Parts: sequence; structure tokens; C-alpha cells
Amino acid sequence: MEWLNNLIGPSAARGLGQLVGINVAFIGVLMIVAYTVLAERRILGFIQGRLGPNRVGPGGMLQPFADLLKFILKEELVPDQATRFVYMLAPIIAITAALMTIVVYPFGPEVHIPFIGPVRLTIARFDVALLYVLAITSVGVYGIALAGWSSNNKYSLLGGLRAAAQLISYELSLGLSLVGVVLMSGTLDLYNIVEQQSGWLGLHWNIIYQPLGFFVYLISAIAETNRVPFDLPEAETELVAGFHTEYSALKFALFFMAEYVNMFTVSVLATTLFLGGWNGPGVAQFPLLGVVYFLLKITFFLFLYIWLRGTLPRFRFDQLMNFGWKFLLPLAIVNVILTSAVVYFQFVRAQS
Amino acid sequence: MLSLFAPTLLTTPALALEWLADYADEGVFVLLFGVAVGAAVSMVAQRNPLYSAISLVFVFMALAGLYLLLAAPFIAAIQVIVYAGAIMVLVVFVIMLLNVEEEERRRPLRLRLLVPAAVVMAAVLFAESAFILYFVHDAAAERAQAAGASTVGLTSSIGAGLFTTYLLPFEITSALILMAIVGAMTLARRASDIRPTDVVVPGSMVLARHTLTPEPDVDSTPVHARSTGEAGRELGLAGAQYRNEEEE
Repeated sequence: MEWLNNLIGPSAARGLGQLVGINVAFIGVLMIVAYTVLAERRILGFIQGRLGPNRVGPGGMLQPFADLLKFILKEELVPDQATRFVYMLAPIIAITAALMTIVVYPFGPEVHIPFIGPVRLTIARFDVALLYVLAITSVGVYGIALAGWSSNNKYSLLGGLRAAAQLISYELSLGLSLVGVVLMSGTLDLYNIVEQQSGWLGLHWNIIYQPLGFFVYLISAIAETNRVPFDLPEAETELVAGFHTEYSALKFALFFMAEYVNMFTVSVLATTLFLGGWNGPGVAQFPLLGVVYFLLKITFFLFLYIWLRGTLPRFRFDQLMNFGWKFLLPLAIVNVILTSAVVYFQFVRAQS
Repeated sequence: MLSLFAPTLLTTPALALEWLADYADEGVFVLLFGVAVGAAVSMVAQRNPLYSAISLVFVFMALAGLYLLLAAPFIAAIQVIVYAGAIMVLVVFVIMLLNVEEEERRRPLRLRLLVPAAVVMAAVLFAESAFILYFVHDAAAERAQAAGASTVGLTSSIGAGLFTTYLLPFEITSALILMAIVGAMTLARRASDIRPTDVVVPGSMVLARHTLTPEPDVDSTPVHARSTGEAGRELGLAGAQYRNEEEE
């Protein structure tokens, strides 16, 4: 890093480093998204007793790129009566809100890169990183709601309305389920939260103390990403395709990508807050192993998503609302009260 | 300042990069300021309520960025979560649900009385801002310099302040908000429509309890009939409503 500092100055060097980091993380996340889609299709095929796409490349490995090419080359259809500006804006909001959170993910511990020096595998450290993630993902609902409104289609509008109601309802329990972890670690910085879980050979994970919080988080997070069994905004048996009925070609692809990036975000937050992030046995000796652990944990959550999709039926809308408001929210509040009581008594004992 | 840096800008690209990095704050401020003011004007000027709502979201986002520049990341995040992420989503939800059409063109003469009042208000606001800029700002800057590094915007200092010095106002505010919620619910449900025992689920249809849990003593044995009218008569219902053309 020294020679770079001398060449272009420290702040420019830092900016360049962040630029490189952002690009690497961006391409990496998009690759993960592409292969999550393929994995979903193959695993769903396995669950349903069929093969899934396996012709493009060895074992279907190039299928995501063929799909992307198809999305790019397809004709863009805009409904005649659509509100054009909002119709164009909606997918942009969706994908931007999904991708903006990448900058605070702690991908791994401090590793030593040849010629560069020690590098922390996170793009930006941020005092309120967790709140930043929640804030940015909460903006993503505009993408869906506006898409539904601007398409000028009954099914789209119903999908958008359902999405807005569902996301607001489950955001409460999602936020409250994370309060327990924040109370325990005393910080909102994701990097710090991960570092605090490095005890017991890297197995001192928050899930040991926060099983209830983890349970509530996982369920509300699945609802936040509009995935089965909470995929009412795009319920194809009732609403054709929900909010993106009228979207085609690349604009549809953006919604599609946004959904999978959001799944990735949820998995990253679950891993970071509850499953120790990059921590695991042997990370202290070989820091790069941390990245492997991190990706393995992410893979587990993504697999869980696909598994759920393959096995569970969809909620009815009143069931969904009942479940969110009358079961998850009280559970999350109980978790907050329990955790604060324990934290308080520990504090009192430490004082005396 | 620019003339001072211009020669070095031309000579060494390294220094130019450095200069860009140093003045990034100002650039970001001008950008956010432009977005905030432009979106605010657009919010007032738009005729379609949904466009106004979207403009307001942009104002909130730009304001959050300005808070970040003022070293208050917590306030910025809360601004986005609460205003852009929750309140405005509800506003958009209601606009979509009611399917509000474009606001009808108001007659230009209406509300003309308020124009001078608005001008006076704007003048007062400008005078206030100027006063703050020229008198208060310096004193605050001096105090901040005397105190060393500022901790005002940090999450920990905001939390400590809320639960110690400002505990009473904080609690009063939360009680007020709770009262507002209860009041809104009381106003929204008319007593004749919904009884307190009915099942009300937020965001879904309002369903009476007996539709969700049918009473056990309701007779549900099938009636043997060849037509709807016959079945109606069998059940003792008004036959005229159910008569179909075949019978006539």
C-alpha cells in the first residue's frame, strides 16, 4: 500500500482501493446470484423428480449466461396505458436498493495480499452499518409498489398493494428480532459484531444466545424477500405474475436479479449476526479460510430458500397478516425484553 | 481556491486525484442540495399525487445524505427507515389503494389570499436562516472547537441522551404517538360497522367473527330440490328472489 500512497497520495489511494473493492464485490455478488438461479432450477428439478436445465455447458453451468443473453436480446414491451416514467423507474429502484448494501458486508477478516499489504475484506466500515442495510432494503419496496401501480394492470396493482402491506408488516418483526443481537454486542457495526463472535475456536456464535431472534429473523426475512411461502405479491395462481406481469426483457431481469440479491443480503445478515460471519475453526491461522466459511454459510441459507420453495405451499393473505402481527411481532418483543433483562442483570453484576 | 490549485492540477495527475478526493464533500453537498431542492419544488408542483409522493421520497433521501455529511449517520439511517421506508410507503399504498386520479385543475383565483401570507412566511424563514448563518453558526463552531472532536451524531451519544437527559420528553412523545394510533383506530372504525369482538387483521379484509368461525348450531343439512327456487321455498326463504325462468 505504501508505494500506492506515494504515487497518488493517501486519500486517492483509499478511493482507488474502495473502487476496486466495490467492483470485485459487485461482480462477485452478481456471479453468486447467477449461480443461485441455476442452483434453484437444478435443485427444484431434483425435488420434483426431473432434471432441470443441463444442456448449456457442462451440467448446465453456462445456463445463466444464456438466459442473460436472451433477456438482453428480447423485445421490450411497454403497455400502452402505462405511466412510462414510473414504469421505467421501478426496476431501477429495485435493483439499486438491492445492490447498494454490498458496501458494508464483511466478506472476511483482515488478509494479507501480496504487494498491497493487509486488507480488510469489507468495502466500508460504518458506525451504523446494520441500520444502513435495513434503511436501504426498506426503500426497495418502492420498486415493487410503483411497478404494480404504473403497469396499469389489475393484477400488477394487486401485487404491488400486497407487497407494500406485507413488507411493512414484516419489517417490524425483522427489525425487532435484530435488536437482541445489537443489545448483546453493543454496536451496529457489522464488522465489529462478527469480530465479537470469534471465541471458542470461532464457534462462539450469537445464535447460541439468540435462538428466538434467529427464528423470528429468518421467517420475517423470507417474507421480506417475497419468497415462498410468502410470495403473495407474485402469486401466479391468482395474479398471473403479480407486480411484474407487464415487465419483459431486461426490466424483468432487473426485478429478478433484485429478488436474488435480496436473498443474498438476507443470508449475509443472518450469517453475520447469528452464525458468526467468517468465523470458524482455523480462521485465526489462515484468514482466507474465513471467506470460505462465509460463503459456505451463505450457501446454506440460499439452499434453505430453494428447499422451502420446493416443499411449502403458499399462505393465504389473512393467514400471512395474522402470522406476522399476532405471532412473530409478540415473539420478537418478548425476545427484546428477555435480552435486555439479561444484559441489564449482567451489567449490574459486573458493577458490584 | 481554484486558482491556487489550477497550476498543480495541470502538472501532476496525482495531485489532481488528491484534490478531487479532498473536495468530494463539497461536490456531494452540492449534488444532494440540488436533489433536495429540485425534488421539493417538484413535490409541490406535481398534479399527480403519486408523483408528489415519489418526489418527497427523493427529498428524504437527499436529506439523509446531508445528515451523513454533517457526521450524523444514525439520524440519516433513521430518516430513511422511518420516513422513506415506512411513512411514505404507507402514503403510496393509500394513493394506490384509492386510485386517486390527477388532481382537478383548481380555479386560479382560489386561495389567492394566501399568496402574500406565503411570501411573508418565506421572508421570515430567509431572515431566520441568515441570522443563524451569521450569528449562531460562529458561536457553535467555537464551542465545537473548544470541546475537541464532536460526538453529537454518534449512536451511543444519541441513545445516552434519550435515556438520561431527555427521558421525559422521549416518553411523552411515545405516549402521544400511542394515543394518536388508538385515536386513529377509533375514528376509522365506525361503531355500527364493526363490533369490538370482530376479527380485524391489518392490511386485509375486515371479516366478522361468524364468517371465520361458523357457529355449530347452524343447520347445514342438504336440501333436495331440482331448482334454486324450490330450494328457497323449502328453506322458507323469499321465493320470488330465487325463482328462475323455467318455472314460470
